Order: sequence, then C-alpha cells, then structure tokens
Amino acid sequence: MISDEPLIHLASVSVRAGATHILRDLDLDVRAGEALGVHGANGAGKTTLLRLAATLIRPSSGSGTVLGASLNSESRYDVRHRIGYVGHVPGLYPELTLRENLEFTADAHSIDHTAVASALDMVGLGAASDRQADRCSHGMQRRAEFARVLMTTPAVLLLDEPHSALDADAVDLVDAIVERTTASGGAAVLVSHDRERVSRVADRFVEISAGGVA
Amino acid sequence: MGFFSQARLITSRDLVRERRSGEVLWVTLPFGAIALLLVPMAIGTDAPLLEQVGTGLFWAIVMLFGVLISIRQTTGETQAQRDQLALTGIDAAAIYIGRATASFVLLVIFEVVLGLVTIVLYDVPVSGWWLVPILITIVAAGLSLLGTLAASIVSTGRNAAALVPLLVAPLSIPLLIGATQALEVLDLGGSSLAWVLMMIVSTLVLAVAGVLSARPLQEI
Amino acid sequence: MTDPTPTSTSTTWPWIVMAVAGLVTFVASMTVSPDAVQGQLSRIMYVHVPSAWLAYLAFIVTMAASAMYLWKRDLKWDRRAAASAEIGVVFTGMALGLGMIWAKPTWGVWWTWDARLTLTSIMFFIYLGYLALRRTTDDLDVRARRAAILGVLAVVQVPLVHFSVEWWRTLHQPATLLRPEGPEMATSMLVTLLIAVMAFTVMYVAMMFKRIELGRLEDAVLIAEQASDGAVAGAAVTTPTIGRGTA
Repeated sequence: MISDEPLIHLASVSVRAGATHILRDLDLDVRAGEALGVHGANGAGKTTLLRLAATLIRPSSGSGTVLGASLNSESRYDVRHRIGYVGHVPGLYPELTLRENLEFTADAHSIDHTAVASALDMVGLGAASDRQADRCSHGMQRRAEFARVLMTTPAVLLLDEPHSALDADAVDLVDAIVERTTASGGAAVLVSHDRERVSRVADRFVEISAGGVA
Repeated sequence: MGFFSQARLITSRDLVRERRSGEVLWVTLPFGAIALLLVPMAIGTDAPLLEQVGTGLFWAIVMLFGVLISIRQTTGETQAQRDQLALTGIDAAAIYIGRATASFVLLVIFEVVLGLVTIVLYDVPVSGWWLVPILITIVAAGLSLLGTLAASIVSTGRNAAALVPLLVAPLSIPLLIGATQALEVLDLGGSSLAWVLMMIVSTLVLAVAGVLSARPLQEI
Repeated sequence: MTDPTPTSTSTTWPWIVMAVAGLVTFVASMTVSPDAVQGQLSRIMYVHVPSAWLAYLAFIVTMAASAMYLWKRDLKWDRRAAASAEIGVVFTGMALGLGMIWAKPTWGVWWTWDARLTLTSIMFFIYLGYLALRRTTDDLDVRARRAAILGVLAVVQVPLVHFSVEWWRTLHQPATLLRPEGPEMATSMLVTLLIAVMAFTVMYVAMMFKRIELGRLEDAVLIAEQASDGAVAGAAVTTPTIGRGTA
C-alpha cells in the first residue's frame, strides 16, 4: 500500500528552550523514498530538527506527524522503534562491548542476535565486536551506531553529521545506508556541512536559518 | 515485547555494566565500610556504646550511601544514551522499574556486606534474625525506587548528582525509622508488624509515583 | 502555557498590609500580660506559633499548586507553588529558630526530639531541596514540571514521614520536660495568639501576592535575557572575523 502521506510532516512547528526560539514556524515534509539534505550555520537548530523528527522533543507550538503519529500525542511512543537516529555524539554504553550494545537494541526490537554479527560485519567491525565501547575510537563507535540502524532497518532515518569522524573507507557506508532506507520506502534526513558529500545521495536540500526552512 | 521483558532487559543491562565498571562493589561499598570504621574513631571505642549504636548506625549509613547506588545509572547517563534508549521503544515505566530492580539487587548486596562489617566491628548481637532479611529487602526496594525517581526528576540539570541525595534523604525517613524501630520493638517483646507494613506502604507509593511520572519525566 | 506578562512591582497595598499585620502582632503580643510561669519569655509564642502555622499552610499551598500545574500546565500555578514554598521555608526556619531560643531557657536544651519538631525540621529540608531543584535549569517549562512532580511526591511521602515520626516518638517518650503549653492558657493569651495567627495569615497572603508578582518579573527577565541575542538561537552565531569568511 503506497500512501501519499509524508513520513515526516511538520506544520509551523516551533521549539523553544526557555524563551529562545530554536526553531520557529518551520514547515517541512519528507516523503517516502526521499533523502533530504539539511544545511545551516552552527547553532541554527539542525540537531533540534532531527531530535524533533525523532519524537525526542515535543514542539512548543505547531503540529507534526512522524510515520503517521502525532508529535503531540501518546501515539508517538508507538513509532519510536521504527525511527533510526545517529547523533553526532555516539550513545553507546561504554562498559558494554559493541556486540552487547547492539544486542541490547536487538532485544528491544525483538530482532534475532544473528543480525547483530552481520550488521557489525557490514560496517567493518566484525573483528572488533567483542571490544568494549570505551576502548573503541570515536569513529569506530560511530560505525557501530550505523550498524545499529542497518540492523533495525528504520522507516525514518535521521543522521546528524553522518560523515564526521569516519575514515575514507567508511564514508561510502553512509550512502549505502541511506539508499537502502529510501529504496525500501523509507525516508532519510541528513544534517551536514559537507554539501558535496551529501549531494551524492540527497534528492533535495533545505537550509535552516532564522529558525525555519529558507 | 511485554512490560516485564522490557524491564528485565534494562535490569540485566545495568547489572552487566556494573559488573564491568565495579562502581558499587569496588567504590561505594568500601566507602560505606570506611564510614563504619570512622565513627568509633570519632565517638570512642567504648565496646558497650558501640554495641548499642551499631544497628542504628548501620541503617543510617545504608540510607546515606545507598542513595549513591540507586542514582548512579540515571545521573551518569548522557543525552545521546538517553536518546538511543528512548528510540528502542522501551516503555519509560519499564525503564524505571528495570533500573530500580538493578539497584535493588546491588543494594541487597551492599546491605548484607555492610551488615557483616557492622557485626564484626561493633559486636552487635543479631536478634530477630528472621526479621532482618525482610527489612533488608524492603529497605533495598524502597531506596532503589526513591533514588531512581529522584534522579529522573533532577535528570541532567545543574548539580544533578549532588542534589539528588538532598531530595532522597528526608523522604527516606519512613524506611530508616521503620527498619530501626521494627528491630527495637522486637527486642522489647512487641510486634513489628505495624512498622513493616508502613515500610511496605511507603515502598508501594514510590513504585506507583515512579511509574506514573515516568513518561512526563522522559521528555525533559 | 501562558506567557508571563511583565508588570511592575509597584503595587503598594501588600507592603501596607504586611506592615499593619506586623504592627498588630507586635502590639498585641507586647501588651498582653505575660504568662505566670514563663514571664516575658512567653511572648516568643506569639511569633513562634503563627510562624509554624504559616509553614504548614505554605507547604499545603505548594502541594496543591503543584498538582494544579501538572493538570493545567499553566506556569502561573508553578509561580504560586514556588512563591509559597519560598515563604514556607522562611517561616519554617523562623519557627525552628524561635523554638530553639524559647526551648533553651524553658527546657534547658536547644533541641528535643519531639515528633512535631522533628517533622518540621524534615519538611524544612524537603522544601529546601525543592528550591534547590528549581535552580537546576533555566527552562521555565522544564523547571515547572520537575518541581511540580517533586511537589506532588512530597504530598504522598510527607504523611508517611509524619506517621513514622509520630510512632517513633510514642515509643521513645522524652524525659520529663516542661511542655510549652501550660495546663491551660489564659483567655487573654489565647485571644492574642489568635490575633497573631490571623495577622500572620493575612501577611502570608500579601507576601504571596508580592512574591508572585516578582516571580512574573523574574520569568520575564529570564526570557528577555535569553532572547536578547536575537529572537532565534541561531541568530547569535555570525561569520568568524578571521579566515576566509572575511574575504
């Protein structure tokens, strides 16, 4: 069943921290099969936009839906497991090995543990899978986070500066993951300063400035 | 995945993390034991006096140091870890119960080891041996639920790790008084039932409060 | 949520009310004939007892306003809860301090483990924690929600603290001490006490009014400070003045 309903739909959404607007009256639609590149200066609100689309923060005003669930309703909790978010800071548990970190996610998603090994292999961490996360470099931890979204195959993929800290071998990984998501009817949003890199996969670009889409 | 499977997943994650980091067993536990060693140096090594204050001191130290155990996972969590945890789709209430359960296990170990240290150092007579395990269990449950809840309220604000003990200590008084008085009443030949029931009510109230406030607290 | 409307703190009636209430308490407590046993010392009672009463009243208001905030999500309830907690902490401190000053010459000790005294001191720390919690963030909504949840948690836990302390005291009867309330209070003293309690209650209302007014202004200042860099957070970041950006 193909629906014209955008996977991410934001209608005049504002996000405030205290009294400061981080996003103001922002409108944005991202449709199935689409990869969107997002640009903006430091502090423009790009990360906030991603966390908003990930249902991690609620709009201060305005409305929006992600995967059909309203950002203001309880139903947003039900779509969270279909959202993949790779932040610019890895969120692994330092005491757990890379494999254990992914197994934790796999258990929560009721995914078989065999998927963990193949996901780590795909990102080139098969040999490091039993290393504790705090003994892995920043770049390795980011790769592990990409392995996590490869494993959970989210319908909405949100990437914050996906190319940073990745070596030359690994940057193409981002393109592959985005293409997999869009090819299977999902949508991807890539926040990046590296317009050239992102343009290889992004269908269109928007720029965040003055709290909205320019 | 059901609620209790989710909670169990959180509990086992926390316990594996603790096994690797050893924060409770190798840092907090020795710290509590040192406290028991320091007190006689301050008040004097008079054997009858120590025997008299031993039990009460044990519970007071369990309350003050146990807080550190029950808040450690929540106050040490980074924003990125919280984001990833939320996106696993695990219910916030299951996270609360799962975390509190892990702290409960660690607190029981903490209490048992400190209890043995108290018996050795203070020569405390163990009366009401059948009641002690019950009290240890309820105190561990109540304190872990209270600490986890207070830590989620303070979350990542300024001075978070320092503020939580201030919030927990006064609210843990029913547990402290209940544990000490239940044993004392027994010594005097009375019934401890009222005290035990009060501690159980206190613990249940905390469990309900924590579950109800879990979702609103996850967003801030 | 409603945005706080900045107003001035120029309303003067609360000041007048506070002054009159203070004067009434002072005159009443200084003109009543002193207690037969305790003499001049008994005059402390006319401030100590109303302070303790206000402390409890203030915390009950904080609890109710916290619950209202969680229900309505309107910041005005948060300001009411905070104002009341702050006033409550001040009067709890005053009640405890005056109680100690009174206890020393009367009972010979600064402190006794009386149930009510113990509970009052615990509540002092609970609400001190509440005020400390409010300082952990500048985000008004986040602050309001955290504080309200603690305010409601205190509602369910304080009665349990109360019972446990009460039972604890029943078990440990204190050594024979003179109770502050004699067997019977003279009518003139009772009337004076009632006047003082009423005056303090009126004073509380006036203080609440002033504190809420001030709270609205504080919130407005916070908002203005945060927004002074430009209405949108990103507007505060401009092109660096060295490097290629200047070319």
